[in-house]
Amino acid sequence: MRREEEPRRPFYWACLALLTHKPLTMNSVAAALLVWTLTSPSSSGHGTEEAWPTHMACSGGGLEVFYQSCDPLQDFGLSIDQCSKQIQPNLSIRFGIILREDIRKLFLDIALVSRGSSILNYSYPICEEDLPKFSFCGRRKGEQIYYAGPINNLGIDVPQGEYQILLELYNENRATVACANATVISS
Amino acid sequence: MALDISCFLLVALFSASCETITSLDQMCIEKETNKTYSCENLGLSEIPGTLPNSTECLEFSFNFLPTIQNTTFSRLVNLTFLDLTRCQIYWIHEDTFQSQHQLDTLVLTANPLIFMAETALNGPRSLKHLFFIQTGMSSLEFIPVHNLKNLESLHLGSNHISSIKLPKEFPTEKLKVLDFQNNAIHRLSKEDIQSLQSATNLSLNLRGNGITEIEPGTFKSTVFQSLDFGGTLNLLVIFKGLQNSTIQSLWLGTFEDIDDEELSSSVFEGLCEMSVESISLQKHHFLDISSNTFHCFTNLQELDLSATHLKELPSGITGLNNLKKLVLSANKFDNLCQIHAANFPSLTHLYIKGNTKRLVLGTGCLANLENLHLLDLSHNDIETSDCCNLQLKNLSHLQSLNLSYNEPLGLKTEAFQECPQLELLDLAFTRLRVQAAQSPFQNLHLLKVLNLSYCLLDTSNQHLLDGLPALQHLNLQGNHFPNGNIQNTNPLQILESLEILILSFCDLSFIDQAAFIGLKIMNHVDLSHNRLTSSSIEALSHLKGIYLNLASNSISSIPPGLLPILSQQRTINLRGNPLDCTCSNIYFLDWYKENRQKLEDTEDTLCANPPLLRGVKVSDVTLSCGITAVGIFFLIVFLLLFAVALIFAVKYFLRWKYQHI
Repeated sequence: MRREEEPRRPFYWACLALLTHKPLTMNSVAAALLVWTLTSPSSSGHGTEEAWPTHMACSGGGLEVFYQSCDPLQDFGLSIDQCSKQIQPNLSIRFGIILREDIRKLFLDIALVSRGSSILNYSYPICEEDLPKFSFCGRRKGEQIYYAGPINNLGIDVPQGEYQILLELYNENRATVACANATVISS
Repeated sequence: MALDISCFLLVALFSASCETITSLDQMCIEKETNKTYSCENLGLSEIPGTLPNSTECLEFSFNFLPTIQNTTFSRLVNLTFLDLTRCQIYWIHEDTFQSQHQLDTLVLTANPLIFMAETALNGPRSLKHLFFIQTGMSSLEFIPVHNLKNLESLHLGSNHISSIKLPKEFPTEKLKVLDFQNNAIHRLSKEDIQSLQSATNLSLNLRGNGITEIEPGTFKSTVFQSLDFGGTLNLLVIFKGLQNSTIQSLWLGTFEDIDDEELSSSVFEGLCEMSVESISLQKHHFLDISSNTFHCFTNLQELDLSATHLKELPSGITGLNNLKKLVLSANKFDNLCQIHAANFPSLTHLYIKGNTKRLVLGTGCLANLENLHLLDLSHNDIETSDCCNLQLKNLSHLQSLNLSYNEPLGLKTEAFQECPQLELLDLAFTRLRVQAAQSPFQNLHLLKVLNLSYCLLDTSNQHLLDGLPALQHLNLQGNHFPNGNIQNTNPLQILESLEILILSFCDLSFIDQAAFIGLKIMNHVDLSHNRLTSSSIEALSHLKGIYLNLASNSISSIPPGLLPILSQQRTINLRGNPLDCTCSNIYFLDWYKENRQKLEDTEDTLCANPPLLRGVKVSDVTLSCGITAVGIFFLIVFLLLFAVALIFAVKYFLRWKYQHI
């Protein structure tokens, strides 16, 4: 269910404005309360929509990676083969998802945050019309995808600490294909 | 008591309207009135009654329809496009689409189909496109063939199909696209290809099938528009199998996640015995590239060697004399001369973008390419202090040049003297260093399109854009002007042919009244994402019928004197401005209502002032300012009555007083 909170807001103000313009009698207070109780459950129900569970992508070698899907429509599965503080180049992963969009064109955005401040923002094309890098490029909306293979990353040593990473996969219309809030703990 | 009732009415009204809002969540989105609807992800188990019978395009993916039958869609007789992706359809019973005579495209991707009735697809008079991707199909006999005479494309990817052989009675006369991506086809036989015999100009996609065997003579005297064997491990098998065939476009690339062997030159011997116009070998490793590797490519027009780990091409290559288009993107060249351009004297299109090393352009490396029309050198980290005459030497026929996304380039006067025929020049996101009073684009008499977005230009240079008599389209997004002001004397004034001007994200706060006076035929002006106020609108007073984007500026009120300037334009966008919705701006607000058809993005054109109306759509605001004629009439009547009453009161008071004397 899509969140439709934004268009709702003016309506609330209209409700409240109308009511507060009247002299505050017991009746109008009761009416206001009634309106509030009638309308707020539906909105708070949307606001605190149940989030997807947090999964562990890998753990070992002093590194733990947790992720949670931030696509309101669905969860996805990810596991990283070798976990280590010294991240090896060209890691292998396993990834399973249902495509909500065609992925003839697919892009990845990475935003890395540590202690509340942004460290890195990066955008990378995975599938392009003139250069489909992976065998899954060009697959269609609705298809279920399982990918087990290399991701062609750079090797990097992760300094001790906790990091938040926002990963977004999207197509040429910026429609979300997958979204992950990841936490990386290096100890 | 009266208050009680009114409160109850209020509550009833509110709860009713709140309910209609919640039920909207479950409703389809109207994309085009009475024609196109999207009902995706709603968990619906039937076609909603709210959809009009006239619906032509229906996106119904990710819903729940375990069984579809003749009653499911019977009401929607005008459907031309129906998307039923992942609706958990198990059964498609007889005559399901019987009343959909107009149906042209049917998408059944990702449904776990158990059975389709013999007459399941009967009804549509001209069914052209069918998608059966990932439906668990293992045999083509599964598809009922009765109503496929007009079929143009059939998509069968991600199934368990092991043979491309179509059933005997399968009509192929109009078939243009046959897509078998990611199936389990390992072998192609004569019989398989013969079943496609009556199709002409067919595109056959076998990407992601591990073809290991092709029966000799299978493709003998066949003609294909395109053949895709992407990800195939053994190219030798493919080339041998394709002997004596004619193929417009042959895609033989591979992928990051596929372990490929290194290609030896002998693999390409098979090309000598077939006719191919365009070939892609993306992402392969070449074991040895010698001058002889391509000797069978003589008839080739287009060659794509993207990401093939090339560091150099040998000189004196034979066989690429007739090549028209060459793609060498995402390779590892150090210097442009390493491609040995003399190998391709007929080249008209050359793409070298996204080189993984910093590319040095050198001097005259492409000088042999006299026929070159298009050159793409974007995303290469190219850096040079004096561009581009030495680098582009002798490219006198070049029409399109892309140098976007590179490192800083220094340009002097007549920087593109070597390519006087240029019509399109893209320098976006490449920082340009131009000395004061220099005119780098001088003498580009034919240049029509110039993209200089985020080039960090020195716009105080009055001669920056000199010598561009034919320029129609100029993009200056993300460049800054001195003090955020475009003055009356500015480098744009001489661009007499300019039709499209983009000045968004330029941090502008003011445009002088006559700043665009020399630009007489502009029809598209984008000034969005600046800090302009309404006073800058005067600079557009001499223009008529333009598209004007003023979104995300600082316009609050627009005085009545400026409204005629807006009235004479075609389309105006005022989204994201802090618009004033008080009586001080009433002329603009009235004008806005009267000119709704001229305004774009009215849903996001909101009031910022007064606080009570913040966030309300300007189109929804109705103000009554000043006293209306009726008001004045009543006021006068009231005053008259009051005066009369006063006179009478005084009279009675005086009379009463006199009587008591």
